[in-house]
Amino acid sequence: MLNIVGKFDVVVVGAGPAGSSAAYTLSKNGFKVVVIERGRTAGSKNLYGGRVYSKPLEEIYPEFKREAPIERWVKRERFSMMVGGELLTLEYYSRNSTSFTAYLSRLAGWMAQKAEEAGAIIVTDVRVDDLYTEDGIVKGIVSGGDVLKADVVVDAEGVNRLILERHGLVPKLLPRQVALGVKETIRLDKQKIEDRFGLLPEEGLAWFIIGNVTGGLPGGAFLYTNTTTVSLGMVVFLEEACKKVQKHVFDILEDLRTSQPFSDILKDGVLVEYGAHLTPEAGLDMAPKKLYTDGLLVVGDAAGFLLNLGYTVRGVDFAAYSGYLAAKTIIKAHSEGNFKAENLSVYQKLLEESFIIRELRRHRKIAKLLRSSELFTTYPEIFVDVARKLFNIEYTSPTLLQSIRESIKGKTSLLSLIVKMLSLVRAL
Amino acid sequence: MSVQALKKIKITEALNTNIWDVDSRPHITVDYEKCRKLCDKKICTLLCPAGCYTLSDDGILFSYEGCLECGTCRIVCPHEAVKWDYPLSGRGVQYRFG
Amino acid sequence: MGLNMIVAVKWVPNTQIVNIDPTTGTLIREGIPSIVNPHDLNAVELALRLKEKYGGTVTAISMAPPAARAGLEFIMGMGVDRAILITDKVFAGADTLATSYTLAKAIEKLKPYDLLIFGHETIDSSTAHIGAQVASWLKIPYIYYVIDTEYRDGYIFAKRRLEKKIEIYKLPIPCLIAVAMRSNEPRPIKLEYKLRVKLENPLEVWTNNELQLSRACIGLRGSPTRVEKAVPTPTIPRKKMKYEGQDVKEAVKWLVDKLLEEGLKII
Ligand SMILES: Cc1cc2nc3c(=O)[nH]c(=O)nc-3n(C[C@H](O)[C@H](O)[C@H](O)COP(=O)(O)OP(=O)(O)OC[C@H]3O[C@@H](n4cnc5c(N)ncnc54)[C@H](O)[C@@H]3O)c2cc1C
Ligand SMILES: Cc1cc2nc3c(=O)[nH]c(=O)nc-3n(C[C@H](O)[C@H](O)[C@H](O)COP(=O)(O)OP(=O)(O)OC[C@H]3O[C@@H](n4cnc5c(N)ncnc54)[C@H](O)[C@@H]3O)c2cc1C
Ligand code: SF4
Ligand code: SF4
Repeated sequence: MLNIVGKFDVVVVGAGPAGSSAAYTLSKNGFKVVVIERGRTAGSKNLYGGRVYSKPLEEIYPEFKREAPIERWVKRERFSMMVGGELLTLEYYSRNSTSFTAYLSRLAGWMAQKAEEAGAIIVTDVRVDDLYTEDGIVKGIVSGGDVLKADVVVDAEGVNRLILERHGLVPKLLPRQVALGVKETIRLDKQKIEDRFGLLPEEGLAWFIIGNVTGGLPGGAFLYTNTTTVSLGMVVFLEEACKKVQKHVFDILEDLRTSQPFSDILKDGVLVEYGAHLTPEAGLDMAPKKLYTDGLLVVGDAAGFLLNLGYTVRGVDFAAYSGYLAAKTIIKAHSEGNFKAENLSVYQKLLEESFIIRELRRHRKIAKLLRSSELFTTYPEIFVDVARKLFNIEYTSPTLLQSIRESIKGKTSLLSLIVKMLSLVRAL
Repeated sequence: MSVQALKKIKITEALNTNIWDVDSRPHITVDYEKCRKLCDKKICTLLCPAGCYTLSDDGILFSYEGCLECGTCRIVCPHEAVKWDYPLSGRGVQYRFG
Repeated sequence: MGLNMIVAVKWVPNTQIVNIDPTTGTLIREGIPSIVNPHDLNAVELALRLKEKYGGTVTAISMAPPAARAGLEFIMGMGVDRAILITDKVFAGADTLATSYTLAKAIEKLKPYDLLIFGHETIDSSTAHIGAQVASWLKIPYIYYVIDTEYRDGYIFAKRRLEKKIEIYKLPIPCLIAVAMRSNEPRPIKLEYKLRVKLENPLEVWTNNELQLSRACIGLRGSPTRVEKAVPTPTIPRKKMKYEGQDVKEAVKWLVDKLLEEGLKII
């Protein structure tokens, strides 16, 4: 027998960026909201790479810039191809910054706190097991034997989306839809961080590295600077990893950390945390057939809203903003008197008008390109080789074209290299 | 755990830097029969980022204690040998930085 | 009628972390959360089981800094009816004597009670003194290592697990039991209870205004224990031996042999 334990306007599953942003927006507008989070505290189960784009969050939380637990504003963007100990790097520096580094645990904790201050109830330590339905209409959630009823449920459970799966709203998650991220958080003196990365106080670095950094698996490595820690990690596409992995993923990351130049940059560092998390990689191709049904809205990673462009990842802002749009949808549907699918369809419309679906559509092709093994192995080899020929001058200095010709010999043709590069540039 | 330049650490050392509140009941169970009889690649032993799956004789040894709750094993296991859920009561890994 | 039970729980640093700063050699404590002493959850579980069996109430008390609120909310999420946080700067720095005195005085205010349930020991100090001392202050019988309890004819029948036997003791109420570690596996947090905690905010906070205890008996001043000197335990140099083979059974045999060589005795 299910035990009915209460009734709210909205139940939100998961206090990640998506769930808390929905709860905050709804509470501010007078809705009775409860968020159910399986972690001990909001934020204790969340893990990501390290950098968040600020603008969408400022729109949701007016006091964001003043109050949020921001570590450093990213002023240095670095992209490297690495082969052996050789790096070919593209760097962009600007005094303006639209993104910052932060600890996701703290950022998610802050968002949940904002929601709580706005009136939402955050229940931690409780895992939601299923949706509660009456006549096929979602009317709440089930946890243990307890049912919590609500007019609408916002599913913000993140990438594994067990609840949606269990409820048959999405098929079982497949390796090709996700990537595995592993990350070490390494404490390092503030001064050392600034000296070694060429940063002024409060300036941050975001660094993506491709090449032989992921044990031959399609994916890439990242490094972010926080105030007194550095996050070093990598993301590998699971489907390819299943086929090609030769070495334990942790050991691949350790190889990277202990190789040049990282071993020098991170010298005297102290490991303070090691974590892993999946990330959605199929964007719109893994979204539930419908992002809403009678009484239910799906937001954030659970909906597949994540953009991985190879040189940057956008998940937190997408998640938060989709939560915000779900809240707007509910506010509107409420004024229309019910939460049937037809009223909730506004959500789809809002998403399409927003940067979320526009961006995901625009970059739809990138996901496939990012996994091509050329991008992760052949190209870095070629480019680094070209750079070596160009810059390691002893007596004669080669021309660029000469170097390229020599470097691609046996690997690919110049034409196919150009075509591939063009298609990559187009996809981006 | 001090991360010295060039010195690789073991996965257990890395996991030890985390905060845990481990449940006495496992949140994941593995059907060892399937591992032994059906699975030759045993991909979980390389892809579980916490090293929860180790090879033993002809099969697998699984320990849930160091699980990072990522979900990888559930998805990569080709034989549906993994019965997977999140821990209850806020137990398991407690990220401070995330 | 049922049993009116009081469970004592301590808020302790989660000592499962061993993160050492290499430059200072000190434990890195930043951001390390505290938890309810794990052995006290076994006490809570036994109390809840007894409540299910015999009816009554379960009240939890904890003497701790204000942050322990989260711990009491956690066990209310397991189903504890009432929780009291005893917190005041004047209680700080207490040794076991002052701690047990304060707890005993708080418990007296909760009369009438039938059964006090304690954890066996804590993971941060592990003296296992507090239960016995509280019982002594209250002049009630107590027993440790309890794995299960029955309540019949106004008596508590406490089942106690020793190395090779199980003993059953008959105690008049009120009495105190300390629950054996790892017995009575704690139940999960329940949505209904945790939600109620959030909605009703039922946690009570007692300071010394409520208890009115003499400053000479509480906190640092009421603590006669002095740590004279801390002697570091000698470190045994590592032998750094490594089994090079593959066979697990052989490895175990090798290990046991090595330990025997070191003077280990098999009984
Ligand atoms: C390695 C890696 C690197 C990344 N790097 C970046 C980056 O640099 N920048 C960026 O913007 N994004 C990044 N992302 C993506 C970003 O982390 C996610 O997109 C974002 O966290 C999604 O937010 P969410 O709220 O949808 O889900 P989550 O953050 O996953 O939150 C889901 C919440 O729901 C809870 N939950 C789940 N199931 C249940 C249940 N059954 N009952 C109760 N609670 C439940 C979880 O505990 C969790 O708190 C990265 C991701 C990974 C894995
Ligand atoms: C020599 C010495 C000096 C100390 N000096 C200090 C000091 O200066 N400052 C300081 O803060 N601490 C100090 N302590 C620690 C302090 O004495 C103990 O933390 C406290 O008295 C509880 O003892 P314990 O943890 O060993 O509990 P145990 O006796 O091992 O606990 C048994 C059970 O008693 C109950 N219990 C224990 N403590 C509490 C509590 N606080 N609230 C509710 N129930 C409880 C629980 O059910 C627990 O399972 C000192 C300890 C010693 C041995
Ligand atoms: S992949 Fe699945 S079946 Fe194969 S060893 Fe791992 S758990 Fe067992
Ligand atoms: S969930 Fe992740 S960390 Fe846990 S056992 Fe599976 S693969 Fe390993």
